[in-house]
Amino acid sequence: MAHSFQTGEHLPHNRPEGDPPDPQGLPRQRAGVTPQMHGRFPDFDVMAHREHWDPVTRRTLEERVAQVPACRFFDEREQRTLGAFLDVVLAQDSEPRIPVLQMVDKKMADGKLDGYRFDDMPPDPETWKRVARHLDGFAERSDAEQHEVVRRFSGGELDWDDLNVSRAWSVVMRGALSEFYSHPWAFNEIGFRGPAYPRGYMRRNMGPTGVDPDEPQEAFGLDPVRDLQQRSA
Amino acid sequence: MSPLVPGLGGLIKGSPVPRDNDSAWLLDVHRRGIPGADTMARYHDHDEVDMVIVGAGAGGGTLAQRLARRGWRIVVLESGPFWDPDRDWVSDEAGQHQIYWTAPRVIGGTDPVQLGKNNSGHGVGGSMIHYAGYTPRFHPSDFHTRSQDGVGADWPIAYEELRPHYERVERELPVAGQDWPWGDPHAYPHAAHPVSGAAEVAREGARRAGITMRVGPVGITNGVFGNRPHCIYRGFCLQACKVNAKASPFVTHLPDAIAHGVEIRADSHVTRVEFDGAGRCTGVVYMHDGVEHHQRAAAVVVAGYSIETPRLLLNSAGPRFPDGLANEHDQVGRYVMVQGAPQVAGRFAQTMHQYKAPPPEISSEDFYETDPERDFARGFTIQTVGPLPIGWAEHVLADGHWGHPLREYMRDYAHWTTLGLLCELLPQPENRVTLAQETDAHGMPVAHMSYSQCENDRANIAYGKRVLEHIWEAAEAQDTLTIDRYAHLVGGCRMGTSPETSVVDSDHRAWGIPNLFVCDGSVMPTQGSANPALTIMALASRLADRLGDKRVGEARAATAGAHV
Ligand SMILES: Cc1cc2nc3c(=O)[nH]c(=O)nc-3n(C[C@H](O)[C@H](O)[C@H](O)COP(=O)(O)OP(=O)(O)OC[C@H]3O[C@@H](n4cnc5c(N)ncnc54)[C@H](O)[C@@H]3O)c2cc1C
Ligand code: SF4
Repeated sequence: MAHSFQTGEHLPHNRPEGDPPDPQGLPRQRAGVTPQMHGRFPDFDVMAHREHWDPVTRRTLEERVAQVPACRFFDEREQRTLGAFLDVVLAQDSEPRIPVLQMVDKKMADGKLDGYRFDDMPPDPETWKRVARHLDGFAERSDAEQHEVVRRFSGGELDWDDLNVSRAWSVVMRGALSEFYSHPWAFNEIGFRGPAYPRGYMRRNMGPTGVDPDEPQEAFGLDPVRDLQQRSA
Repeated sequence: MSPLVPGLGGLIKGSPVPRDNDSAWLLDVHRRGIPGADTMARYHDHDEVDMVIVGAGAGGGTLAQRLARRGWRIVVLESGPFWDPDRDWVSDEAGQHQIYWTAPRVIGGTDPVQLGKNNSGHGVGGSMIHYAGYTPRFHPSDFHTRSQDGVGADWPIAYEELRPHYERVERELPVAGQDWPWGDPHAYPHAAHPVSGAAEVAREGARRAGITMRVGPVGITNGVFGNRPHCIYRGFCLQACKVNAKASPFVTHLPDAIAHGVEIRADSHVTRVEFDGAGRCTGVVYMHDGVEHHQRAAAVVVAGYSIETPRLLLNSAGPRFPDGLANEHDQVGRYVMVQGAPQVAGRFAQTMHQYKAPPPEISSEDFYETDPERDFARGFTIQTVGPLPIGWAEHVLADGHWGHPLREYMRDYAHWTTLGLLCELLPQPENRVTLAQETDAHGMPVAHMSYSQCENDRANIAYGKRVLEHIWEAAEAQDTLTIDRYAHLVGGCRMGTSPETSVVDSDHRAWGIPNLFVCDGSVMPTQGSANPALTIMALASRLADRLGDKRVGEARAATAGAHV
């Protein structure tokens, strides 16, 4: 099948059901790793550029990939519930997964918080615990049921006595997304070139002449099977 | 020091480094840490210095540099660390958590302002370490919105009093941009930066919609300027510029301040201002390594920004000032302001990779002033913003997406370009900082910030969003995504003409306390729709002139014994 991302027809707003096409139809990642191994930029691996980064930044990103911390903050039951919840909201339905639960857990355990809380909300770590309690049993539900719970959670339609539901959604989602999109595998998926220091960028204008050396190339218009055959020829 | 020999100035490309600030020459070409940190002056706690400044940010840093040049003996106490960018900073969105003010704060009101990475900084250089880098001036109208438009407040000073300081600070940063047609028309010392494809698309959309956009103004070097490096266009301005191309007091004022005898004492969190029986300040109490210290000073300047400054004044309550300092009329902490800063992103067929540029590129002040055709007073500016992946994810989330749709929009990142607004929201007495029950690591009550919009605010934001939609329509965007948010903080200790309606006078002096000053964003009575940092620095520069020329009546007495 041919992909073209030029027209924007794949975007949820432009599709009748508001759902994107099945990501299984995307190219498989050939260089590096992406979450679930699909992406737009099959030959782009941000970590391949690590020797061009300053040592402190390089270490930070290498550790983020290599060191998956064990959970210290969430107990086993919370881990099961929140793990399933995070898989749904981040659409991580197969391996390889970015270990978002462990990353959030580390932040809560270390007390690395954002420096504010709503006056009608507990501190963020307690919010996560309460969300886990309210979603208890989520992991055992069917896909359709899980989807429905998350839909109602995102719309503020759940009724929780000890939590403002819309704010709780904002706390957990911002927490989850900050971890997911800090991970080099996610950079690979979206074609983000990461640190770019001390090198920086050279070509920045529109159109083909604005393509920088090493810029991630979108695999639109390519038939993955034919493309692979050509590459191996 | 400066190699600019008179008569040769005209031969040197770029903008000449000002003669009265050597910071750009003092920087090391090969290292990003600022020189002098190891060898700077050290004062004893019991030395009575001429001035202690709380906070090494935009206001505090600029004031220290100016007065040090006039011989004042100054200690700056900064709660956060003394950065070495090579060692401490990473070019990474998640890895820069430490540069934000992350000690606890509580938010409330009907439209609470989320703080964290989007508000104040913590460390030498203050919030400009992670500001975007836009450096516009306020318009002359900003200083009298009450008499002109019937809203907001009149400042006790006029634009004309700040103009020479705007010009001076613009040369020090130095600001790059096209000639500026709005407000008080002016030119900039450095030429405009080349713009990225992402900004080009926005500029074309605006052109078709009949809106003027100009490149700049940004505090990012675009040419030769002492030892300051050139920008490398990699989009991490809001995560601290590891290159030192982006201006902040850390590179523009503190090197010169240190060279002129200022001590910047980092990791020193001030918990209280101290007094004698006559109601004059004698210095401050601060915590360093878990130990309480007292620094004596002839004058105290609080420059901790719009939340921490009112908090410190309130936390310094004692028998003589039971409601906190300069708060006899319940003014401290009131009229805190933010700007409405919704962003609308547009989607295009070609990839642009909007991270390949500093987020601040082009802006428009076409809508800055009150327009009787609109149903609200005052206005807004339009600017490019350039979110990195986490910022982009928050944007997609705010438009209502999660799961597969969210991942799809995220994968589409390369095709998007983003415009933001800064809408002038009006000062209101109930938008205020008070003390919460909760305490921080030093046992001091933390700040509670309450924020609610008024009808004018809502109408302004709604109108502005329609303008952004219109620009993307004109540019033939294939899709748009919208996020509602706030930006910037000012007010909370506003300047005015009487203690009943303000906290400090036009010389930044706290009403009723002759040797206590406030010199940061909290003194602003209104905020316009311009980004505030340049104005905060210009105000500090003006205050230094007033103090240094001894034109602030009682400051002379306050600093008696100082060798001014
Ligand atoms: C994400 C973001 C983007 C921004 N972009 C722009 C922009 O493009 N253009 C612009 O003009 N402005 C921008 N700003 C705003 C700008 O950075 C601030 O308005 C400005 O830096 C405030 O200056 P200040 O002197 O009031 O305080 P700050 O620069 O914040 O300095 C205050 C200092 O005081 C210290 N402090 C506070 N309390 C204490 C205490 N008790 N003891 C010791 N030290 C203390 C703090 O640690 C801090 O270092 C941005 C801000 C943010 C958060
Ligand atoms: S884009 Fe330029 S100014 Fe911004 S962080 Fe990078 S080098 Fe610094």
